[in-house]
Amino acid sequence: MSAVGRDIPHDSAKGHVTGESIYLDDVPPVRGELLVDFFYAKTSHAKVKSLDLTEAAKVPGVVALLTHKDLLGSNLFGPITKDEIILVEDEIMFMGQPIVIIGAEDRKAIEAAKAAIKIELEPLEAILSIKRAKELNSVIGPTRRIKRGDVEATLKNSAHVIENTFRNEGQEHFYLESQAAIAYPKENNQIEVHSSTQHPSEVQEVIAHFLGVPVNHVVCITKRMGGGFGGKESQATHPAVMASLVAFKTKRAARIIFNKDHDMQCTGKRHPFENTYKVGFDKDGRITALWAHLYSDGGAYNDLSSAVMARAMCHIDNAYWLPVVDVSGTICKTHFPPNTAFRGFGGPQGIATIENIMEEIAAYLGKDPLDVRKVNLYGVGENNITPYGEIIFDNNLHEIFENLEISSDYSKRKSEVDKFNRESKTHLKGIALSAVKFGISFNTKFLNQANALVNIYIDGSIQVSTGATEMGQGVNTNIKQIVASEFDIEPDQVIVMPTSTEKNNNTSATAASSATDLNGSAAVIACEKIKEGLTELAAHHLASKVADINPSPSSIRFEGGFVFDRRRPDTRLTFKELVKIAYMNRVSLGERGYYATKGLDWSWDAGPEGTASGHPFLYYTQGAAVSEVTIDRFTGELKVERVDILMDIGKPVNPGIARGQLTGAFIQGMGWVTTECLKYAEDGTLLSHSPTTYKIPNIQDTPEVFNVNWIDKENSVNVKGTKAVGEPPLCLGLSVWCAVKYALRSVSGAEIPKLILPASNEEIVMRLAEYESKTAQKKPADALT
Amino acid sequence: MRDYLHLFVNGKEHKISGSEAFQPLSTFLRWGLGATGTKIVCEEGDCGACSVLVGKLKDGKIDYQPINSCIQLLYQADLSHIITVEGLKQNGHLNPVQEAMVECHGTQCGFCTPGFVVAMCEYFDRSKSPCAQGIKDSVTGNLCRCTGYEPIIKAGLNVDMAGIVPLSELYPPAEMSKIFAKERSESVLIKTEDKTVFLPANLADAAKFKSEHSDAIIIAGGTDVCVVMNKRAYAPKVVMSFGNIEGLNEISVSENHIKVGATATLSQLEAFVKDRVPEFFHLLWVFGSPQIRNAGTLAGNIANASPIADTPPFLFVMDAVINLTSSKGNRQVRINDFYKGYKKFDMQADEFISSVEIPLPAKGEMVRLYKVSRRKHLDISTNTAAFKFKLNGNKIEDITIAYGGVAAVILRLPKTEAFLKGKQIELDVFHQAAELAVSEITPISDVRGSKEFRLQLAKNLLSKLFYEIKEGRIAACQQ
Repeated sequence: MSAVGRDIPHDSAKGHVTGESIYLDDVPPVRGELLVDFFYAKTSHAKVKSLDLTEAAKVPGVVALLTHKDLLGSNLFGPITKDEIILVEDEIMFMGQPIVIIGAEDRKAIEAAKAAIKIELEPLEAILSIKRAKELNSVIGPTRRIKRGDVEATLKNSAHVIENTFRNEGQEHFYLESQAAIAYPKENNQIEVHSSTQHPSEVQEVIAHFLGVPVNHVVCITKRMGGGFGGKESQATHPAVMASLVAFKTKRAARIIFNKDHDMQCTGKRHPFENTYKVGFDKDGRITALWAHLYSDGGAYNDLSSAVMARAMCHIDNAYWLPVVDVSGTICKTHFPPNTAFRGFGGPQGIATIENIMEEIAAYLGKDPLDVRKVNLYGVGENNITPYGEIIFDNNLHEIFENLEISSDYSKRKSEVDKFNRESKTHLKGIALSAVKFGISFNTKFLNQANALVNIYIDGSIQVSTGATEMGQGVNTNIKQIVASEFDIEPDQVIVMPTSTEKNNNTSATAASSATDLNGSAAVIACEKIKEGLTELAAHHLASKVADINPSPSSIRFEGGFVFDRRRPDTRLTFKELVKIAYMNRVSLGERGYYATKGLDWSWDAGPEGTASGHPFLYYTQGAAVSEVTIDRFTGELKVERVDILMDIGKPVNPGIARGQLTGAFIQGMGWVTTECLKYAEDGTLLSHSPTTYKIPNIQDTPEVFNVNWIDKENSVNVKGTKAVGEPPLCLGLSVWCAVKYALRSVSGAEIPKLILPASNEEIVMRLAEYESKTAQKKPADALT
Repeated sequence: MRDYLHLFVNGKEHKISGSEAFQPLSTFLRWGLGATGTKIVCEEGDCGACSVLVGKLKDGKIDYQPINSCIQLLYQADLSHIITVEGLKQNGHLNPVQEAMVECHGTQCGFCTPGFVVAMCEYFDRSKSPCAQGIKDSVTGNLCRCTGYEPIIKAGLNVDMAGIVPLSELYPPAEMSKIFAKERSESVLIKTEDKTVFLPANLADAAKFKSEHSDAIIIAGGTDVCVVMNKRAYAPKVVMSFGNIEGLNEISVSENHIKVGATATLSQLEAFVKDRVPEFFHLLWVFGSPQIRNAGTLAGNIANASPIADTPPFLFVMDAVINLTSSKGNRQVRINDFYKGYKKFDMQADEFISSVEIPLPAKGEMVRLYKVSRRKHLDISTNTAAFKFKLNGNKIEDITIAYGGVAAVILRLPKTEAFLKGKQIELDVFHQAAELAVSEITPISDVRGSKEFRLQLAKNLLSKLFYEIKEGRIAACQQ
């Protein structure tokens, strides 16, 4: 049985369940190791008039107090644009921004130093909303645009037009392991950094920049993360830089571990969006044209905001054909911590917008939202070109919709929901089917490359190293199975090693759901190179054992742990024997594979009127979900009763791991659209900065019935026929939100119900109160008619 | 007087004295013993990653419960056997819970996993017939951000029950029990330069200590005060921790009331009231998490005096009585008279709560308790409400109402109560009552909800009560 397609446990599972897996703060301290923390801004926007470290320096146990003046490279950095200041100079740009790095012998000294730092500030106006940023034209980068056809004219000729604004709030990653790094100084200005990061190469490069050393002086190693979800893509660099600076300056090992409150207060989140749109449609709900302007809250610096906006704009179509479209995207510059990557990377925000539009069109026309979605689905062979010009070649959405509608018993349940809402005075029910079509590949073309190192040892055991980082998603297990399948040996003969920039250089972040695609493909190439040598060798070796055949490399087979010539299958070597022979015969047993995704391109100005266009994605992962909810009218308590998910994820390398991505992403998406509320004080202080006040889903919130399936279809363009699965199912959490919106239709009368995302109990109660009071006011008028 | 702590971790004996005794249990495990399987995430008992089993002597056996080790001070673990995730293997092999978690993909990033494994192992040690709801209930106090929980539930349903070695066999209790029983007769006093902790062996010692140290703060379960220590650098100089007082954790029932000892945990109470006051049982089910309820106490919930505490509204409508003890003797205060302002009480510096008496609902009385929170489980309430009432046909004969989360203290609503008395059970009546109710409260906006939301809830809960009465969903007490 091939190693690919098998449901084997996660390669770290045994360590996880016994507590033996090592995370950064579990690493025993070395002699002289220092603790690192930072003094950060407690105000959102201010001028620094003075900073006095005299008293702090006197605190016993304080070894290093570093400010921007101690940086050995320029203070500016950033993953896309170098616009971020890592240590405050004369202006605080967001609450939580680091000002002074403290290295000390113990926690007590750090706290005392923090208390002894004197800073004088002159408060400046803080921009703390998209609205205010728009008023002041405070933006990051240019407004981007995707355009097809004449929207203005089409809207004018459309039977119906809805014009509205839709707001979705941010989301905290809430990885369980907070940001962490340990730096070990090495000889000759070299440094080794262990970082809980999704992007070791970026950590390496940024550290080199701030230490003023060439990149080859820094090694960044990532064994694992206790969760990432995008929050450790660009923002793991900050702690790693801080630990490295202290280690570099003091020549002592230095460890930084954020506590949960500081982590939540100081790091960026999923971008809130406030989108204005005008949508034209016919009597069946078929969209004729969509005009939309997306505004995201980028926070104080660009970070990954421009890439997030690109993905949001590229996903406003989602599963639906928009014949005429004009979408713009503007990033607002505010005084919040820079918002950053979060599973979905703008995709969910774009998709939420169009799924909301589907519900609104249906509400406007008094139709079943599923019917509206169906008439708008991308076609097969026609109506299959995205607004940015990419052709959808593998549209499986129709099959998914048809199967899911039946398997979820949608129609019957919807009529039961409608009946329930007519009768119940105490509860409301809602049901919705929402879809996802998620583009796979980094929007940014050059990131779509990877390298892998495969080493076979003389006993036939294998080590693989790639740029992929393990954050629980199982990429290491996938790669292990892919490599094992290349030689058709058992997966337990392969170990995937900690990610290290020493083994794999210039790697891309483990992001965009594509770590297995990119790194798995690179590993396959490395295996193929080794196999070439081994095949040649085996051909000669086996032929020498059998009198009547000539060496024929093309006849050599690797099967079930054996190697043989297909013409004489009984004369066979074990893989291990062949490896030993290869070594004795000086045949290479280690290779590096390099992979670059073919056929991608993207331009911000190659489209009509200098708008964006291209072919940014290799393929699309698709799916849909039906969710049913029950709402307590008085308390707003929301219960997700049943969820049915059906996706197209190709042939997964490991079905168990793929399934875990589906359930995990869906529930994370459900959290985003329901209970996860980021609450800020007027001055920008984050009030919900720990699990006491920020509520991610609990096990009791999981749906009573949770059916998770995928259609059986190989993806011809990707490694082993798989499709990426990390992010897309998160977008299906929107079906829960849509179900709430649908439920509100039964109380909002002729009005299209309004609903902010997340649909928290507060939002639901306040919306219900609004509609009920309107109904009460209307009563006399009703009585007259 | 003993001047050290005596405990066991994964079967190994430890005696601890001096400043080490004052650290959180989790810190001792991770840094003192290098047992880093126990993870620290929130340091406030809201994620469960630091869960360990605490075994205490009970009827000659060791009774294990999962608790959050980050909000448990080491001195609270005196005379306990702590089992961490490292101590759960059976003969060097994965136990059936660990095995199922591996096979069913119950772990992804793994950071929450030790906590889940610990909590589930206790469930499978206790439960004879595991079910999905039981599994969920056992890990309500554990957050996972990766799996969506479905694989964890599946793992629970696939545990090989036959392969489970009971904890009492993994760690034979005989020797530990003997030590605990012997050591418990003596009070413990540990002093450092700037800190003192006293673990009285009996109430008399406790009262004496309190009369001599009026500044001593009292720890029953520590689930609130330890959070303040972790998060706001609260460092009390003198602490008296009640865990070793024999009998103080008893719950008893007489003809018309339940008496709850000061160290009786909310879990004990939950089990005790299950059939006696089902409505209170349902409220306790959504109180914090198992880990919190295994440590937290009713007395602590009262003494912490939070206006959003879950149990006081019920105690208010039942007119519970608080027994205060001091070296001068005992004194009783009605809970309705106990609170004198935000975190202020009718309690002298030398007094402490030794027990609480809760009257049982009388025959024909109905009790309804509401807790509104952003998330149903493992959350702190936005609003709470307790209603005790009696009906006479379609009329309200009598009603008592307490609201939480709507002012600096828990409030009774005298005007609303008076208005409703003798009224017909009609929606319009309850709507009028709702308008009165909002005139009696002064909620504020905070992270758990806006003022407007709280006012709306205050009204809505009366409507909810109306419909539930109308639809016959509230049972009257039969005895």
